[in-house]
Amino acid sequence: MLTPTHAEIIAIAPELILTATAALVLIIEAFLPGLRRYLSGLTMLAIAGSIWARLSFELPGAVWAGMLRVDQLTAFVDTYILIAAFFAVWMAGPFMRRTAANCGEFYALILFATVGSMVMACSVNLLTIFLGLELLSIPLYVLNAFLKRHEVCVEAGLKYFVVGAFASAFVAYGMALLYGGSASTDLVEVGRQVVELGFLSPLTAVGFAMVVGGLAFKLALVPCHAWAPDVYQGSPTPVTAFLSVVPKGAALIVLLRMVEGMDLLHVSPRWVLAASVIAVASQTLGNVVAIVQRDIKRMLAYSGIAHMGYALVAVIVAGVDGGAAVLFYLAAYTLMNMGAFACVAQLSEREDRPHLISDLSGQGYNRPVAALALTISLFALSGIPPFIGFTAKFVVFRAAINEGFVWLAVIGVVNSLISVFYYVRVIYILYMRQLPDRQPDYGFNLPICAAASVAALGTLLLGIYPTAILAAAQSAILFLAR
Amino acid sequence: MLNDHLLTIVTLGPTIFAVLLLFIPMRFKTVHRVITLITSIVMFGFSTRLWTGFNPDVPGFQLMPKAIPWIPQFGITYHVGVDGISLLLVLLTTLLLPVVVLAAWSLNIEHIKSLHITFLLLTTGMIGTFVALDLFLFYVFWEITLIPMYFIIGVWGGPRRIYAAVKFFIFTMAGSVFMLVAILYLAWFHHQQTGVWSYSYLDFLQTAPLLPTTGGLFAPGLLVFAAFLLAFAIKVPIFPLHTWLPDAHVEAPSTGSVLLAGVLLKMGTYGLLRFNHALLPDAWDVFAPLLIVLAVTGIIYGALVAMVQPDVKKLVAYSSVSHLGFVVLGLAAGTQASTQGAVLQMVNHGLTTGALFLLVGMLYERTYTRLIDRYGGLAGVMPIFTGIFLVVTLGSIGLPGLNGFVGEFLILAGSWAEHPVAVVFAGLGIILSAVYMLWMVQRVFWGPVDITANYALPDINLREVFVVAPMVVLIVWIGIHPNTFLEPMEASVRLLLAR
Repeated sequence: MLTPTHAEIIAIAPELILTATAALVLIIEAFLPGLRRYLSGLTMLAIAGSIWARLSFELPGAVWAGMLRVDQLTAFVDTYILIAAFFAVWMAGPFMRRTAANCGEFYALILFATVGSMVMACSVNLLTIFLGLELLSIPLYVLNAFLKRHEVCVEAGLKYFVVGAFASAFVAYGMALLYGGSASTDLVEVGRQVVELGFLSPLTAVGFAMVVGGLAFKLALVPCHAWAPDVYQGSPTPVTAFLSVVPKGAALIVLLRMVEGMDLLHVSPRWVLAASVIAVASQTLGNVVAIVQRDIKRMLAYSGIAHMGYALVAVIVAGVDGGAAVLFYLAAYTLMNMGAFACVAQLSEREDRPHLISDLSGQGYNRPVAALALTISLFALSGIPPFIGFTAKFVVFRAAINEGFVWLAVIGVVNSLISVFYYVRVIYILYMRQLPDRQPDYGFNLPICAAASVAALGTLLLGIYPTAILAAAQSAILFLAR
Repeated sequence: MLNDHLLTIVTLGPTIFAVLLLFIPMRFKTVHRVITLITSIVMFGFSTRLWTGFNPDVPGFQLMPKAIPWIPQFGITYHVGVDGISLLLVLLTTLLLPVVVLAAWSLNIEHIKSLHITFLLLTTGMIGTFVALDLFLFYVFWEITLIPMYFIIGVWGGPRRIYAAVKFFIFTMAGSVFMLVAILYLAWFHHQQTGVWSYSYLDFLQTAPLLPTTGGLFAPGLLVFAAFLLAFAIKVPIFPLHTWLPDAHVEAPSTGSVLLAGVLLKMGTYGLLRFNHALLPDAWDVFAPLLIVLAVTGIIYGALVAMVQPDVKKLVAYSSVSHLGFVVLGLAAGTQASTQGAVLQMVNHGLTTGALFLLVGMLYERTYTRLIDRYGGLAGVMPIFTGIFLVVTLGSIGLPGLNGFVGEFLILAGSWAEHPVAVVFAGLGIILSAVYMLWMVQRVFWGPVDITANYALPDINLREVFVVAPMVVLIVWIGIHPNTFLEPMEASVRLLLAR
């Protein structure tokens, strides 16, 4: 029987805070319905407390018999996961009131999913990774279908559930094969064997490929991307925002740990080729198909596919440069995407109606704050300075060129050029088209606008001065176990 | 002390005031106008300090404070400075800003606040592009100019403004993304050579010329050169990449056209000289014949197309293609005289074409048309306006004693020794420019007044005189005493051309 030490409890304090809060939320929901309206605030408080705990408590390194590693890397990843969750809850408050959905479970599920992705990100053991993955996925299946009276929403939930279950099965089976090939569930050990052998044994290779396949579903990489547009479109907007960032962040870290642990850049040219193809295909398909989208949530789904393609370039490069680029990219992506989705939540009439881009005509002057925030987020997503999206792409392409992948960088910038087309289209519809005769009734939500403004401001200021985040990413990546 | 921060003040000052404007409610239109005008005049005042503080005998960069670390992990710094070449372009920019703000006074539109904010942000981008000595910083400023210009064309432009704005955005972006890869590659190469991460222009001057340019079409030096060239050639624009320019100019409001023609296009020619020529001299020799052919083609083509335009503004836009062909020819010939002529011609084009766009804008405000055949006989109705227009036109076609002559003469004289054929064809372009400009003047200003409504057109007013006066003064000044402007750049150009 394992007896946890004091340090081990401290190491997972942020997760404990969230879990306890989730339980508390459920109790309040069930027995104290009068306190229901404070749940949003309570959840945000818990997340803020969790961030504080992660940043101020000491980081002991390997804990829980080496299953988890709580170090600077974990702190970095947890921070942006928690920030994303914070934004999602921030948006969700007014949203839940408007749609009159039952709100207690919503917050509890968001908290559980957050804990799941945090566990996933700090695990160095196949078992805990899988536990984290499931803890992340199952609440998301429910959250996606949360507006149970809306057909599109239920469709989204079902789609995500079926595809997600497949992905989990892939990951589980792949992990079994990895275990069979290396007789260990420890990532470091699995990696060490590959590095010492100098190649991937067939069993390990198949296992790794299946895990990557499963993670690719979570990341919505081509060819496992088809669920993304429907799910993004149908899910409640705060959930979409959460879904677009948190699972991807956690899955990319797991992928990075495995790639780096097995030193695949030098061991397996086949991995490099396959991953490059996936990255290029994701960027190209995402960007080209996004051009023809009429619903802004679908457009952002395709843009998300493309962005994970860019991030995958950094995973391929790996090493200190590539790893730091992955972390920086995810942090930047969190801010940009949260800003964009907060604006979508504000510029939305009814949840079950499509969020047509053409409905935004002339809103630049009617809703100046939300429109400006959306503009900044979209410029950032398209990679134009001085916003953080440019810095993120710069960091990724720099890492690629330094490792000799000039062609990946060239394809990447060509893709950013394609992406400019659809991002800029939204902006001209906002500012350069007249208001339509029938003006959409968007209302005004102070918290959502505040969330959008904070994200947009962060996108701008951190784009001008990215040094601190970059330094944190660079020192965090040194903790990536090899 | 002040000299150390002078460039930073001139570059970032406009943005600080733009942020200030953000907090003033949009209904106080006059407040926005006055603040922006005062800002622009103050910035011009600071930039005259640049002129007086500049030592023309020093060839290298001056008024250059120490580089401030910005992203130290990659060796990226905030580093600015001017030499004789960029000094003139910075002054051109700071001069055009108050002119444009004053010209926008007559606009009776709702969104005065956002218009002035975009002017100020655009100024930061333009000046920053000319003074940046770190290639990351340069790229940031280069790209920043896109966003305000996109809004200027797209929000305040003509009927096809959205098409023009998006075309402008995509075209420019298409060039610059490859430049980003080239910059990253240069930094990697610098690290290979020296073991130090840096994006500094001064560091790249040491290592970039070492890039191999032999070994076929895909030699790294040639590819990096081509990437820079594409970015700058689109911006200039060099034939056949010019197709965005007429659309952008015709749809942009006249204030936007002034900044676009006056300054934004110069960012392209400036980049050719500063980066392509100085960083990759060997590749420059390989590409120079191509540049000369394209430049001469552009001169003739631009002139021929300008000749048949029914729209005055489009005519001036195509004449830009022709005039910038001269600049590129001067740069590509690469002698001391031709290069100095090219730099001077950049300023000349900014002044004359800027003034032409402003004057055309004034005509448009009176008649709401820009079609040449809707005018006629305006000389009798608006005599003072006609006189000013004529001076500017003559400056544009290169009448001796006015500015255009000096620039074109230096370019052609400097290119003659090496490229006589190109000079002959370019000379043809001068004749053509006289044809299309004077023909246009004839149809607009002489003859009988065909349209009765035009009898009542008011002549130029005092504000409008102030708008064009600085340009007219400089057009004459450069024509009579060009040495004022040629001297400061002489040493810098000599240093740049010396390998």
